Amino acid sequence: MRAARNVAAPWRHLDITLLVATLGVAGMGLLMVYSSTRPKQLSAGLDPGYFLKRQAAYMAIGLVAMAVVALVDYRRIRDFMPILYGLALLTLILVVSPVGTSRRGAQAWFQIGSYQFEPSEVAKLVFVVALAAVCANHRGDLDTGGLLTALGIAFVPMALIYVQPDLGTDMVFAAVLMAVLLVGGAKPRHIALLSLLALTGVVAIVQFGMLKSYQRDRLTAFLDPQSDGQRSSYNLRQSQIAIAAGGIGGRGLFAGTQTNLSFVPEQHTDFIFTAVGEELGFVGGVSLLGFFGVMLWRTWRAAVLARDQFGRLVCVGVLAMLVFQIFENMGMTMGITPITGIPLPFMSYGGSAMIASFVGVGLVLNVHMHRFE
Amino acid sequence: MTKDTSRLRLAVLGMVVLSLFSALLARLWYLQVLAAPSYKVEAQHNSVAVVYTEAPRGRILDRNGKVLADNRVVLALVAHREKVGPNSPVLQRVADLVGDTVDDLKARLGDERFSQFKPVPLAVDVPKEKLIYVREHQDDFPGIEGLQLTERVYPNGTLAAHVLGTIGEINDKELAAHKADGYRAGETIGKSGAELSYEADLRGTPEIDKLEVDSSGRVQRSLGDQPAVQGHDVRLNIDIDVQRLAEESLAQGIDLARKSTDFLTGKPFLAPGGAVVVLDPNDGSVLAMASNPTYDPNEFVNGISVPRFAQLNDPANNYPLNNRVTQGLYAPGSTFKLATGMAALKDGLITARDTFNDTGSYTITGERPETVSNARGAKNGIVNITQAITVSSDVFFDWLGQRFWDGRGKYGQAAIQDVARTLGMGDYTDVDLPFEAAGRIDEPASRETLHKNDPANFPYPEWYTGYNVNMAIGQGDTVVTPLEMADSYATFVNGGTVYAPHVGQAVLDQSGQQVRAIEPKVVRRTEIPASIKDPLQAGFKGVVASPGGTANAAFAGFPLGAFPVAGKTGTAEVAGKQDTSLFTAYAPADNAKYVVTVVLEQAGLGATAAAPVARRVLEGIAAKEGVAVAPPAPVNRVAGAD
Repeated sequence: MRAARNVAAPWRHLDITLLVATLGVAGMGLLMVYSSTRPKQLSAGLDPGYFLKRQAAYMAIGLVAMAVVALVDYRRIRDFMPILYGLALLTLILVVSPVGTSRRGAQAWFQIGSYQFEPSEVAKLVFVVALAAVCANHRGDLDTGGLLTALGIAFVPMALIYVQPDLGTDMVFAAVLMAVLLVGGAKPRHIALLSLLALTGVVAIVQFGMLKSYQRDRLTAFLDPQSDGQRSSYNLRQSQIAIAAGGIGGRGLFAGTQTNLSFVPEQHTDFIFTAVGEELGFVGGVSLLGFFGVMLWRTWRAAVLARDQFGRLVCVGVLAMLVFQIFENMGMTMGITPITGIPLPFMSYGGSAMIASFVGVGLVLNVHMHRFE
Repeated sequence: MTKDTSRLRLAVLGMVVLSLFSALLARLWYLQVLAAPSYKVEAQHNSVAVVYTEAPRGRILDRNGKVLADNRVVLALVAHREKVGPNSPVLQRVADLVGDTVDDLKARLGDERFSQFKPVPLAVDVPKEKLIYVREHQDDFPGIEGLQLTERVYPNGTLAAHVLGTIGEINDKELAAHKADGYRAGETIGKSGAELSYEADLRGTPEIDKLEVDSSGRVQRSLGDQPAVQGHDVRLNIDIDVQRLAEESLAQGIDLARKSTDFLTGKPFLAPGGAVVVLDPNDGSVLAMASNPTYDPNEFVNGISVPRFAQLNDPANNYPLNNRVTQGLYAPGSTFKLATGMAALKDGLITARDTFNDTGSYTITGERPETVSNARGAKNGIVNITQAITVSSDVFFDWLGQRFWDGRGKYGQAAIQDVARTLGMGDYTDVDLPFEAAGRIDEPASRETLHKNDPANFPYPEWYTGYNVNMAIGQGDTVVTPLEMADSYATFVNGGTVYAPHVGQAVLDQSGQQVRAIEPKVVRRTEIPASIKDPLQAGFKGVVASPGGTANAAFAGFPLGAFPVAGKTGTAEVAGKQDTSLFTAYAPADNAKYVVTVVLEQAGLGATAAAPVARRVLEGIAAKEGVAVAPPAPVNRVAGAD
């Protein structure tokens, strides 16, 4: 009885709004994955619901993982942090070893049967928690030592991910790092210095041949979407055509020619938003942004309400992770940000990212539930 | 303190998030609301392919509705290009099945005439059993399918080939000329004959199939199909029975000439070709048009092979593709005396009663005196114009030629030529068939022009009395097409109206309803008074009916009482060649419904070679008119003087 009451108590403070918004996005994601994979499956004589079913399964696993993460008091997670961080690094090392699998030019997956597991998605969350833990130790006043520790924690996984190479995920790490440092109490000049460093780094990477040419093309294609011939700008152009062709009301579910006829690349994964834009139109796009907006607002609110600095920074980290991915991914399909392989949270087809996103929301729910304890 | 900065910092973060969201929203608004219309068009272009499939052409019928050009269904094996690549092993299996080479099939597979979105024919006219075999062994033939295609067919083979013409793939020049009519590369178009001149009627409306295609060009579904509409049928004035008779008779005449000896050279006649045309003089409609040698238009249907086309154009084969009726230019010889006689009577140079003593030769007086003789040295004695025509006295017309030139101050330099032109010689007849040639009448002005343009072939720009004499009997540089000759006699027969000859009669829709009539076209109207017509008419009747007439022997045994025939023979001398044999006849003589012109190249006298051919054609026509006449016997050569 006692135990039941203790466990049940935090549940009374479950953030239903956040949960509903998250399920709303994930539901739209299921629909769009179905819509964008069905015609191809049908024309190949395969099960039209194949991707839908798998995505639904990932979603179910994600929900369970979210529940588990929300259930355990986040302060206890902190105790396991060194182990989790170590495990995360280990998987990142293993994935670039011959154990990992290479796909589309990046060695970023473990192939397990017909499933792929992407360790950097999990590492992202471990990093959020680890960074929050380190920064929280300094109680909102991050001195140089604390800053260097935080940078160190960020550097190792980022370097390993750079080896894969997966620039997009590194950018997510950078965004999380900056946001947590900002709220974690880093000195303004440190933040300014880091921003300058990041900017210089990006320019250096793009300018001085540290990227493979396809990577540079992808990153810079959005600057000149009219340029023909390059595959990247073609993708970008087709993606924008798809979204714009949706107009206000959209062309109707399953009726998007750009999406259904494979003019848009990676339509069920990275470019899933084009399906939303084309088939559900401005109304659908704004609805999706609305769900995301509520999610981020509730996450931000959880950070504000958090009872301790660690919980706050965890929320900030998750917030930064989500917001950067949403902005970068949707911005990419609309031609205002570079093309990177970042999935749209809860929308893009893929198990690792789906589960990681749910776990992220689970962390936020956790902080929110335990704010009075 | 700490908490306060933390809240401030969170607020900053919140602002960043909000601004990023605003940027997304603004971009979404721009794309989907402001810029959507232009992007929608682009998306449309991306995904819609329009495939045009030609409609079957309309048929070509003879005047009684008998089919001269039709469409037939052929079985074909087609390949779906998204499943069959140039290196597919299935090509070898198809090649083995239909007895073709893989290279040929590869070439067809890559044929750009076929839309990439539609199956491409690999083998056409495949036996049904082979199609069934493919269907039963579909696993061995992935991407291969049996289909029915329509194809032009000329059920009578070579019959009326020059009238019907040919079809073929549209070329760049035709494409440029027909762009406005919606023609597309690879389409079929009429290349010659009625297929070309009635192209606009015969061509149907293509099937327009809007297909949704994906980014790899795979067809997903049809967005709407506008079915093909077959072209209109064209009914011709050609009577297939008369046409067949004309072609047979012409071939017999040529064959016979080649077996006969030319007494002038002592060698057999070469007789490389000839022409027969049958016109209705009362409206210019063409009942038959035969040109020999000929060809089979079916050979052109799926594209004629290069060696075969070269063969058809080899001079050694005497140009079978040429329509000698509309394109062959021949010196008219004595058949031209129609114009000379009319001019003399019209200008009052002679009356019907005036005579001249034909001693067998005529001495040209003037700047270059010269004596010319009748063919074969015939002496016709005292003749008037009627008798001169009947016996074809060159001397009489030589005399007229000299007098016209001597009196050119009064009659003008081209009195005879002007009459010839009024009748329809020396110009395009405006027949409804393409690539017609225009004849030319020898005269002082044209000599100068010819010399100026081509001094090597026309070395003498001057005009002498002798030239006028020569011109008066249809020699010299005058050349006309057989159609011009027939049209000129038609003008004489109908009293002065020049019609543009026409093979087309009416355009019909597929239910047989007339869409439009192809009306007779009057080119020119003049009046031929009885005072001019009667003496000449009597002469032409005499040619056939009177014992001294040049064509009398050719018509021995013909039922002239029931079906009187009039006409004029001609034998034209051509430098370096054997004589051209000509005959133009019309019947019934006093109320003519038919004009028949026969020209045989290098075949001898008109009376001997051409007249018997005309006789045989007229026998068939007489039978059609209900005259009791024996079935046409094979053409015979007969003795004659012209």
